Amino acid sequence: MPNALPEKTLLTLADTCLLWGHRLSEWCGHGPALEEDIALTNTALDVIGQARALLQLVAARRTPATTEDALAYFRDSHEFRNVTLAELPNGDYAQTILRSLLLAAWFVPVWEALEKHADRQVAAIAANAAKEARMQLRHAHDWVVRFGDGTPESRQRIEAAIGALWPSCAELLDTEIDGTARDARRAAWSNVVAAAFDEATLTFPVVGALHEPNSAHADRFALLAEMQSLARQHPDAVW
Amino acid sequence: MSTSPESSWSLFEVFIRSKQGLDHKHVGSLHASDAAHAVTLARDVYTRRQEGVSIWVVPSNAITASDPDQRADNFDPMASKIYRHPTFYDIPEEIGHM
Amino acid sequence: MYTQSLDLPNTDAGNTDSAGLPTEAAFLARIARDEKIEPQDAMPEAYRKSLIRQISQHAHSEVVGMLPEGNWITRAPSLKRKEILLAKVQDEGGHGLYLYSAAETLGASRDDMIDALHSGKAKYSSIFNYPTDSWADIGTIGWLVDGAAIMNQVPLCRCSYGPYARAMIRVCKEESFHQRQGFDIVRALCEGTPAQKQLAQESVNRWWWPTLMMFGPHDSDSEHSGQANAWGIKRISNDDLRQTFVDVTVPQAAFLGLTLPDPLLEWNAERGHYDFGPLDWDEFWRVVRGDGPCNAERLNDRVEAFEKGRWVREAAVAHAARHAARAVSIASEKIAA
Repeated sequence: MPNALPEKTLLTLADTCLLWGHRLSEWCGHGPALEEDIALTNTALDVIGQARALLQLVAARRTPATTEDALAYFRDSHEFRNVTLAELPNGDYAQTILRSLLLAAWFVPVWEALEKHADRQVAAIAANAAKEARMQLRHAHDWVVRFGDGTPESRQRIEAAIGALWPSCAELLDTEIDGTARDARRAAWSNVVAAAFDEATLTFPVVGALHEPNSAHADRFALLAEMQSLARQHPDAVW
Repeated sequence: MSTSPESSWSLFEVFIRSKQGLDHKHVGSLHASDAAHAVTLARDVYTRRQEGVSIWVVPSNAITASDPDQRADNFDPMASKIYRHPTFYDIPEEIGHM
Repeated sequence: MYTQSLDLPNTDAGNTDSAGLPTEAAFLARIARDEKIEPQDAMPEAYRKSLIRQISQHAHSEVVGMLPEGNWITRAPSLKRKEILLAKVQDEGGHGLYLYSAAETLGASRDDMIDALHSGKAKYSSIFNYPTDSWADIGTIGWLVDGAAIMNQVPLCRCSYGPYARAMIRVCKEESFHQRQGFDIVRALCEGTPAQKQLAQESVNRWWWPTLMMFGPHDSDSEHSGQANAWGIKRISNDDLRQTFVDVTVPQAAFLGLTLPDPLLEWNAERGHYDFGPLDWDEFWRVVRGDGPCNAERLNDRVEAFEKGRWVREAAVAHAARHAARAVSIASEKIAA
């Protein structure tokens, strides 16, 4: 297929969604309020759905064809291509919400660019994902504003979250996604995040230069050990 | 371990329009920190199966209701006004539908 | 959704209603005419209290019920199952919310109800005090536990209290997905490898008896059932519901090729029902009273989530207040200008 988006790009997007969805799903049943528990789980369902759509596409395009579950459950940690931000442990709710903002602000311009891509199957997935990412962005934006402009404790927590997650932003912004313009995406990300911080009366720190990419991915290793445990105990099973 | 007013969200009633052209209908309530927050949460809580295309929220304490003890006096008198209903009138068969 | 609540003892159930006596006869007459009772209507205090107790216990059961199944979301063995389970557990949260809302129409505050849960005063369905040790338990919970719950709750859609009945209609609509997805999990296991089939059988062995106990004590031992029947809150007796459940489930198990762990289970042509063995009521009361395998863990998880969420809820309240104050000051500036 001449217009096909390269597999490595599809996997970067799919794996990022999958691991981020995994982290979000850990909150289900443990959220700060019943209503918010339900809201955050909607985001988890959205990004896991995106991961599935992309993995199904990759699986169908492989020769020989494989399955979404083979890709999700039987690749080893070093074969995953997600951005590091997606795999980090949740931390407190401020960290989860900030991460949601940073990722959604990154995904919205990605999906909006891929929506117009000549790879029609990717464009269809992106068109749907763009709507979901905009909802995720709105949700995260509102909470970041509440935390920054809330109580002294919430402000202290969101500031700590910025400190904890900011080092991972360089890699996020440096990630190449074929079919999208990285500099334009970077500018769009900065505008959206800075606007949220401004409304939250928070300082928007400079995103530093990219250090050595994190090659250990210890968090991903632990995440996959849990996620893949049952499937790997029964390698021949159909569920 | 107990709850505190500082952390308690207010109660809102939620109304959903199930499709364009229909009325908003009361579906339940939820807790939120303010009205805008209630609208976004209502979307997550009450439209997970495409139940709606539009949402209204109203603070529960803003609703004024008729007195249930007045129900008979309020509404029974309407029962005798049967001439308001089209079925009150005989239409000759030759005329057909009117 | 999981009701067993009506039959659970409560320290402050309070069925004494002296003030309500004059209206009691008129109220019972309304119920007998199948009239719905709505929030602002006059109602005996005992009816109101009993409803708050039942609906809040029911809501607690939904919310606590998120935990045993939530335990497997991160380890679901396929992405499809993960998605379905996540949506299902989320629905349980929604059901809890609809039910808390219904109880709030009776003047109970959600804060008070949650306090009662966290302090151990309020009960929830004892079924959630059993552990989910294997993935098969996720299937069994959907198939058997949700199946039993549906049987309990369908009659509640016609209960006398309007908001509860309406909440139950919404819950029931969503619940049939839950039972089907559970059956689908078990079916896949039974049609799978011998190891998968074994997981399914072991799980059914664990859950069968606790599921039958979900219908509550025998009618003769049920503390609240008589009054609840008269009030139109409960429509079908515990034992009748339990029998119906056994009758529909036996052929389903046979279809799956699973054995139900009851040597006395046998078709009784004369009665037109399956006979089944005696339930272990000592275990039932032990679990209800807090001594089940997971009571402490479940309650601890709920309290922890609530406490960890406190600063989040407080931030939202503080921000909303400041935002509203700002809007007022902007408005007054505009008027002044």
